[in-house]
Amino acid sequence: MDLSSIFDYELALARLDGDRELFTDLVKLFLEESPKEFAAVAAALARQDASVLASAAHKLKGSVTQFCANRLLDSVKNLEKLGRAGELAAASPVCATVEHELAELQNALRATLNDRLREA
Amino acid sequence: MAIPLPPSQAGVSSSASGPSRSGTSILLIDDEPVARRSLAGRLTKMGYRVLEAVDGVDGLAAIRREHPDLIIVDWMMPQMDGPTLCERLRSDPELATSQVIMMTSHDQPEQIAEGLARGADDFLSKAASKQEIVARVQAGLRTHALVRQLERTRDDLDCSNRALVGKQRVLDEDLASSARFVHSLLPEPGAPAPGASMAWRYLPSLTLGGDLFGVAKWGEEHLGLYMLDASGHGVSAALRAAAMVTFLHPDNLARVVGGHDPVAIVTEANRRFPMTADGDYFTLWVGALHLPTWRLRSVSAGHGGAFLSVPGRPTTWLSQSNLPLGFDPEAGYVALEQDMPPGARIYLLSDGVYETMSPDRELWGRERLQQVVEARAGESIEQVIDACFEASRAWQRADHFTDDAAMVGLERNREASIVKREQ
Repeated sequence: MDLSSIFDYELALARLDGDRELFTDLVKLFLEESPKEFAAVAAALARQDASVLASAAHKLKGSVTQFCANRLLDSVKNLEKLGRAGELAAASPVCATVEHELAELQNALRATLNDRLREA
Repeated sequence: MAIPLPPSQAGVSSSASGPSRSGTSILLIDDEPVARRSLAGRLTKMGYRVLEAVDGVDGLAAIRREHPDLIIVDWMMPQMDGPTLCERLRSDPELATSQVIMMTSHDQPEQIAEGLARGADDFLSKAASKQEIVARVQAGLRTHALVRQLERTRDDLDCSNRALVGKQRVLDEDLASSARFVHSLLPEPGAPAPGASMAWRYLPSLTLGGDLFGVAKWGEEHLGLYMLDASGHGVSAALRAAAMVTFLHPDNLARVVGGHDPVAIVTEANRRFPMTADGDYFTLWVGALHLPTWRLRSVSAGHGGAFLSVPGRPTTWLSQSNLPLGFDPEAGYVALEQDMPPGARIYLLSDGVYETMSPDRELWGRERLQQVVEARAGESIEQVIDACFEASRAWQRADHFTDDAAMVGLERNREASIVKREQ
């Protein structure tokens, strides 16, 4: 899989001033936190609570932003917008996309982490 | 609670590349852990001491506890959001000058306007580059340092002011104590000699006055009277006036002048009290009343304030066109002589009593004072003096005299009252 289509490693690292150690920390934290953050999004949608959906998506957006994963970031932004607008019907397919793209990012980050460990 | 950071990210930075900013603390308030850790890691690497809080409530507690130099707060948070936290800070006098940067995910102009209105100092995009973070953080810290400096200056001023007030209290007490001493030099009202009555009022313009007067027995046969005015006001004038009072003490006069003749006294005073380096000098009026004959000899050195008031006769001012003391060491003096029949009064007064100005700058003057005294010739000395003070105050439309105001009255009692007292 071409990781660069999922997130921009070089750019994400540059944002951290090239601090690989910090990047590794953030990846580990993201792998712990993002499933919980997505679960909150999915639960809000299941309850058809648009306002909670918006704030849960906003929170997920905060963590995704750190990795320069533009496709996923756009989807999450879209989901937040739909939640804010109360368009729950339109939100369902976007939520499915977010779930898929988030899994891709998590896998890509795990792979990067393993590469880093092998290098080390 | 604020989350303690792992050693690599919390506390004093050991980063070799970062400048030494370990004393500078930044509080980061964000509910999203990954974004918070990301910014905390970068700030720590820059050398700042980073504190973290998970929402507005937690953040407010950390601010009260830690007084961070800079606060970076996320806009959207559960419990208490960024703008609400800002409002809480601005309404708390202890925390109102905190520097707050608010994080926004998109720079919508209306969001910036709302954030500013609710108390944010600056904004930082969540996608900000390292350069932008450095610039905004440094700007926030610069402002914080300036505010701190102002607060310290204000506290220093408060402290100096308290010290000055304390010193002033000591000086005031000193002045009050000196004033009590000067007051103790003034004569006791009542009967300074058989057949005579005396009363006075004295209002120094400051706590200490440069005008003093005396009425005392000079030897067996004389009653000495004087009114002096040391130029200037306050402590210096009072000290010089007290020195002159000491010179005019009967024991001293007996020793250095060898008698009670006003001409000899004023001549000696002129010799002993030359004008000071600061240009200060005295005016003096001295009278010696020979009690067996009630004959008054007087000399004035530049002092205009004594007059004789005899029933059925016009008022006689006992002033002479002599220079004040200390102007000319060779100055010569000639005495004026008057008789004091029963019921006659002599009034001594400082120019502060009659040199009062009306609001449209017209002088009250000696003539108006004389009219008050003549109109009240039948009243007691106290009543006449009080009436003069009241009329002068009414003229200047103010209670406080701008110059020392002193007035003394001495009466030769009518025969009837002597007889009455001797019964």
